[in-house]
Amino acid sequence: MGKAIDLLQGTLDMLILKAVSLGPLHGYGVLLRIQQISGEQLEIQQGSLYPALYRLEHQGWIASEWGESDNNRKAKFYSLTAAGRRQLHSETEKWNRMASLIANILRTTPEEI
Amino acid sequence: MNLTRFRSWLKWMVQGQRLESEMETEVRFHIESRAADLVRKGLSQQEATRQARIEFGGIESHKDAVRASLGVRWWGELSTDMRHGLRLLRKNPGFTAVAILTLALGVGANTAIFSIVNTVLLRPLPFRDADRLVRIYFNEPGLGLRDVRFSKPELDDLQTRSGVFEDATPIFEGSENLTGVKRPERVEGVNGSFSYFSMLGVVPQIGRLYGPQDFVPGFAAEAVISDGLWRRAYGADPNVVGRIIRIDSDPLTIIGVLPRGFRHPGPTTSGDAEVFGAGGFIGEPFPPPIRDNRVLVHGIGRLKPGVTLAQAQARLTAMAAELRHDFPTDYSPQTQWTIEIQSLQETLVGKVRPMLLVLLGAVILIVFIVSLNIANLLLARASGRQQEMAVRLALGASRGRMVRQMLTESVLLSLIGGAAGIATAFGTLGFILRFMPSNVPRLNEVRIDWVVLAFALLVSVLTGLVFGLAPALHSAKVALSSAIREGGRGSGYSTTTGRLRDVLIVSELAFAVILMVGAGLLLRTLRGLLQENPGFNPTQVVTANTWLGVPLDPKTDPYRGITGTAAFDRELLRRMKAIPGVELAAITSALPTSNSNPNAVGGLAIEGFAIQDRPVESSQDLLAERIRISPDYLKVMQATLARGRSFTEGDEDGKQPVAIIDQSTARKYWPDGDPLGRHVRFGTDSTEPWTTIVGIIEDIKNDGLDVDGVPHIFVSAYQDPSKQVNVVLRTSLPAALLEPQIRHEIESIDPGLPVFNVISMDDILDRSLASRRFSADLVGGFAGLAVLLASIGIYGLLAYMVSQRSREIGIRMALGARRDDILRMFLRKGVALAGLGIVAGLAFSAATASTMASLLYGVRPHDPAVFLIVPLLLFAVAVLASYLPARRATKVDPMIALREA
Repeated sequence: MGKAIDLLQGTLDMLILKAVSLGPLHGYGVLLRIQQISGEQLEIQQGSLYPALYRLEHQGWIASEWGESDNNRKAKFYSLTAAGRRQLHSETEKWNRMASLIANILRTTPEEI
Repeated sequence: MNLTRFRSWLKWMVQGQRLESEMETEVRFHIESRAADLVRKGLSQQEATRQARIEFGGIESHKDAVRASLGVRWWGELSTDMRHGLRLLRKNPGFTAVAILTLALGVGANTAIFSIVNTVLLRPLPFRDADRLVRIYFNEPGLGLRDVRFSKPELDDLQTRSGVFEDATPIFEGSENLTGVKRPERVEGVNGSFSYFSMLGVVPQIGRLYGPQDFVPGFAAEAVISDGLWRRAYGADPNVVGRIIRIDSDPLTIIGVLPRGFRHPGPTTSGDAEVFGAGGFIGEPFPPPIRDNRVLVHGIGRLKPGVTLAQAQARLTAMAAELRHDFPTDYSPQTQWTIEIQSLQETLVGKVRPMLLVLLGAVILIVFIVSLNIANLLLARASGRQQEMAVRLALGASRGRMVRQMLTESVLLSLIGGAAGIATAFGTLGFILRFMPSNVPRLNEVRIDWVVLAFALLVSVLTGLVFGLAPALHSAKVALSSAIREGGRGSGYSTTTGRLRDVLIVSELAFAVILMVGAGLLLRTLRGLLQENPGFNPTQVVTANTWLGVPLDPKTDPYRGITGTAAFDRELLRRMKAIPGVELAAITSALPTSNSNPNAVGGLAIEGFAIQDRPVESSQDLLAERIRISPDYLKVMQATLARGRSFTEGDEDGKQPVAIIDQSTARKYWPDGDPLGRHVRFGTDSTEPWTTIVGIIEDIKNDGLDVDGVPHIFVSAYQDPSKQVNVVLRTSLPAALLEPQIRHEIESIDPGLPVFNVISMDDILDRSLASRRFSADLVGGFAGLAVLLASIGIYGLLAYMVSQRSREIGIRMALGARRDDILRMFLRKGVALAGLGIVAGLAFSAATASTMASLLYGVRPHDPAVFLIVPLLLFAVAVLASYLPARRATKVDPMIALREA
């Protein structure tokens, strides 16, 4: 996966919120979903997913529930809470603003200064 | 932390096990799912599992990150550290026992002493809004008099004119005879105003208390009794109200019983007040309420809410000035009459504060020394643990984490020691209280409450941090490579640890010096007092007290006037002399050093008197203690008559009144003339006859071995009546043997008289020193302990050095060093440390010794003997403690030492 991009600092939480906003997922499912949406472009250190999941749950943005996986195994499923939805919304806003701001800066030509 | 997060944190804190198993399940599921996917991509099962694990990364560090993100990691680490610490403590039972024992002692002593300090000095008096209660003093600074009597109009001034008091009352305290019970008893009585109880805010447990509505002129015919008397004399009878109690033969109706914890907030002559009467302070037996009739004593009052002590004092000073101006005939200018107030708590505890603070200081020093000693032991152990620390560092432990681990271990140790200390305090507090001198007030209130427990916990944790910090910081500085390479063996006496341990030893010695200097000063004071010549021979003297009572109605008094008391005295002495084994018998109104002064009933023990042919203005400042004695008193006491004559049986009523003075009174009032044959007169009544001075005796320490300068004038008990009768008998028999006979004889004269304090004069002198002996013994004991701990410290340090440097010693000896050189090398180290510590301790003591001045008598705070002996003694101990390990160093066999290395 040499072509993969390393995850930007601090964006993992947002991606996890987005992933589980599309439906409840277990930890491995979150990983697969993010990789799938990103078209296998993102490199996520798999283990670091879990501290992030527990932290988000701790903050009340996602909730967890034990259930059965596709292959009938016991797995912990995470889903977005109302607070998480608000958080995702504001994070998305912030990200978009930041992204367009930075894009603008990077587009700047010498003549414009 | 918001609520959601707190709930989640709490959940995982409580369900730590579940968290672990859930993480485990989740991680396994992840890795197995990933492996299954990889198998589908064509990898072998084994290869897929391996690959999945690699991709996941360090499982444990991720789990750790999870714990950290939940805020529960520190808890896990703490419990690991604690388990580790407990294991270490179990592994070194010797070290653990020494540490916990010394800590138990240190923390225990601190807890016990602090519980006393907390109760006596810090906790407010057990009354409603106790901070508003004050003691009121009427002073005549112009005459050097404090706490003089006051008059009814002056009491009214306090209550109305001043505007700062909610209420104020005089307090009459004194011994009273309780009769009509099984055996006549001497009890302490208090007579205040009718609003005394409402001013204090007391609620009775049975019946009712006086209130302002009960006001009558003279004294009330009712009494309120204490819980103690109610239980003792009335068997806790719930129907006690309405019964008659006879106090100094007056029948009083009991109207109520005070609650169990109630104590009258004033100094009583002995024990606690048990019978409470009330007076109106006008009408018989009180004199007409004019300013010049000053008969009221011991004012206490309650300030109005919101009035501070300073404001009230300013107002009272101003009011005193107004009164002096308005009534110039009642307040002669030279008295500078004024009013002073002091918080009641300060009045009660002010005298014992220095002693309690010195004791607290001593126990705090002890706990310092204990913790330095443990720091030393831990540091020695830390050097042995260098390899463990180095391995931990190499495996990725952060230095902060390691410091935390070491601190956890030592705080754990200190908490165990602290718990043992609190148990020690609970176990020994009763014992300590029994030995507390009886002049310390409020001892009945002493409890180990949550404040004391918090203090004990604080002391434990602080000592843990103190003795843990040095080794902890040291272990964090371990040089990784060298420690591992050396394999933990004999890294030698490294300079950093070495310097740290030197500092510890030096401070320990310095603290020991401070304690020893304190103890030395107190012990010197005590020894000086024990050797003090009291001016009489206390051995083979037995004393007994009785009190003839002062009924409210003088007509019912069987011992009225001089004829009544003199007849009683003569009959008493006749019977006493008839007891087999009694050589001589006499009577005094004030036993030496026993503060049984009868004048305490009326307030001042010291009275003004006049000298014939001296101008009246200057006679105002003539003051002396008047003591009534019978003719044989000087013989019984074996006091020395310097000049003139002693009293005879003929010095009785109707004859020329006579007096004997002591030499310091003679020097003070007749500096250039001969007092013999001169005339004096107590009081201001110029119709009274003059008294002739017929004898001069050498000084008697009548007011305490440590009290000087009170002038005494002895008068004949057959000419000057006293209701307080103290019998002194010269006899070779012990007091216990004589007591039944003395009791029998007094009861055969009058079965209504109480007999109390049958005790030898030696014991009285001994008791008068109880407070000093207590503090000297306690501080002395602590100083001894400090020396022991400090010498163990030096010994331990040098013994450790010798064992660490045995290889070096071997090389030195192989290269030709003589045993003497080796001995000197280690001795020099010990001596240098001891010298430094002693100098530091002496410097500190010299700077602070003056704070002890109020506890010393006959010894200066910078007593050269103490400041010379203490360092020499400690130095000798230090040399001995260094010599033992140093000598062991010379026994090192170079061959063995080198081979082992």
